Amino acid sequence: MPFNQKPQKFNAKINTVTIGSGDKTVALGGNSTFPFYSFDAPTENTAKVGVEITDMGLEGVSEGIKAYYEGATTMADIAKKAAAMEGADFVALVLEGGDPNGENKSVDELIAIVKEVADAVDCPLVVEGCKNVEKDAELLPKVAEVLQGRNVLILAEKEENYKAIGAAAGLAYNQIVGAESAVDINLAKQLNVVTTQLGVNAQKIVMNIGSACAGYGYEYVVSTMDRIKGAALGQNDNMLQMPIITPVASETWGVKEASASEADMPEWGPQDERGIDMEIMTAAADLAAGSDAVILRHPQSVATISKMIKALA
Amino acid sequence: MAKFVTIGERLSTTAPAVNKAFTERDPEPILKRAKQQLDAGATYLDVNIGPAENDGEDLMKWAVKLLQSEFDNVPLALDTTNMKAIEAGISVYNRAKGKPIVNSADAGDRIANIDLAAANDAIVIALCSSGMVAADNDERMMHCQNMLERGMMLGMEPTDLWFDPLFLVVKGMQDKQMEVLEAIKMFSEMGLNSTGGLSNNSNGMPKHIRPIMDSALVAMCMMQGLTSAIVNPNDLRLMETIKSCDIFKNNTLYADSYLEI
Repeated sequence: MPFNQKPQKFNAKINTVTIGSGDKTVALGGNSTFPFYSFDAPTENTAKVGVEITDMGLEGVSEGIKAYYEGATTMADIAKKAAAMEGADFVALVLEGGDPNGENKSVDELIAIVKEVADAVDCPLVVEGCKNVEKDAELLPKVAEVLQGRNVLILAEKEENYKAIGAAAGLAYNQIVGAESAVDINLAKQLNVVTTQLGVNAQKIVMNIGSACAGYGYEYVVSTMDRIKGAALGQNDNMLQMPIITPVASETWGVKEASASEADMPEWGPQDERGIDMEIMTAAADLAAGSDAVILRHPQSVATISKMIKALA
Repeated sequence: MAKFVTIGERLSTTAPAVNKAFTERDPEPILKRAKQQLDAGATYLDVNIGPAENDGEDLMKWAVKLLQSEFDNVPLALDTTNMKAIEAGISVYNRAKGKPIVNSADAGDRIANIDLAAANDAIVIALCSSGMVAADNDERMMHCQNMLERGMMLGMEPTDLWFDPLFLVVKGMQDKQMEVLEAIKMFSEMGLNSTGGLSNNSNGMPKHIRPIMDSALVAMCMMQGLTSAIVNPNDLRLMETIKSCDIFKNNTLYADSYLEI
């Protein structure tokens, strides 16, 4: 009997959200199939890869990453090298130095860095806050303001500060709003509902539904992403049809398998290799589960994941 | 499972204001009622133009174009005994948001509406009766089988026949209510879709009682597998009940604001 292929057709699709301005833009989402199911329907947009840099420069990054950025002394230099990385679709600037429990840099100081980076590169930009809800509520609206016209993705509003960040990014300054929840499918949907109730266009929202490093409660991430794509496509739930972006690097480079030095753990081998392995494994799993974009740090991870996406497209 | 499909029933010639607006081709009252229903969460809108023996074709075309152009190709149920008017409506109908529904066929005089739906790739509401209300579920299911076979012979997908058990009024037919619920279960077990004029159950009851009875019944029906109902979407209690049942049935994903969307 001949094989009779029955494509799984959905009368729904993930929103297409474009980041960036001018000639340099990337489109996230837009597909009406489960990830990489190009046999069910043509892929509208392949998944995208971003390169993470932070306002802390090269402090604390692995030797391999340092080597890639060798000679870069300013944030502008670092941003340019990040944008030029093989496989990179966009640059993600994390303002981690703003954390009141860390460096506690002032908003002005951070905005100066944002401007420096934005002036140095013309590629699409994602700007992430410091994760402190109060500080981000102050910082991210300013970021949205100074980057007017660049159509950047602001990561992220949360349940506690969506009014300040969502309204500034999505309404006042016409940027793309990132909505962050922590592996909680009901909250992911709720945040989209209340953000659109503020008046933000649903087509201008991207979700970060949270992540974990592979091996660290990662099953919840998979089931949450899978359920979101299922509801978005199968139930045509327009409050879950926003594309998903997943900052992978910030999760994977923090676990002991990636951060322990070779001197401390000689039997584990070189730190860079372990970090790359964790980053690639997690990113590949995120993409297979439903992420429309991932943010990575190591040039080898960026190149590998980008190659995987192209091979499976 | 798909979300429960509500068909808004408020565009009907039985309402004098609507009747007048249809007769005079006055868009304003029609659009106002349509918007109220869509804002309240109706999926489909029923367009009941009455028998419309004289100008049915022209009127149905006018109504379909008016509603679909104003409300982003809102899907419609075309409701009249005038078959030519239904065909005329379908000829100008945009399917982007869903197939048209032919409202309705039965197993008796109106069985030809199944042929009409089949010829036009439409959904049809199939009343499980022939002239009189079915005496029992044996009769109901016989009508169901006959209409299903007819539709399938004509190339229809079984899921495009939405079977209507005929909701019965409690005041007078209280002892038949559980039978209707059992019929819904049988449709559901056969993998069929179902719908009906659910509020008929509370006909003749005081106004403040009707939403309570309708809500209780819709919850029981959804438990049995009812997939759609022709309702007044501006009945808040009823719509809240439907949305809540959709959550329990895992038809929609819960969010704290689920009643607002």
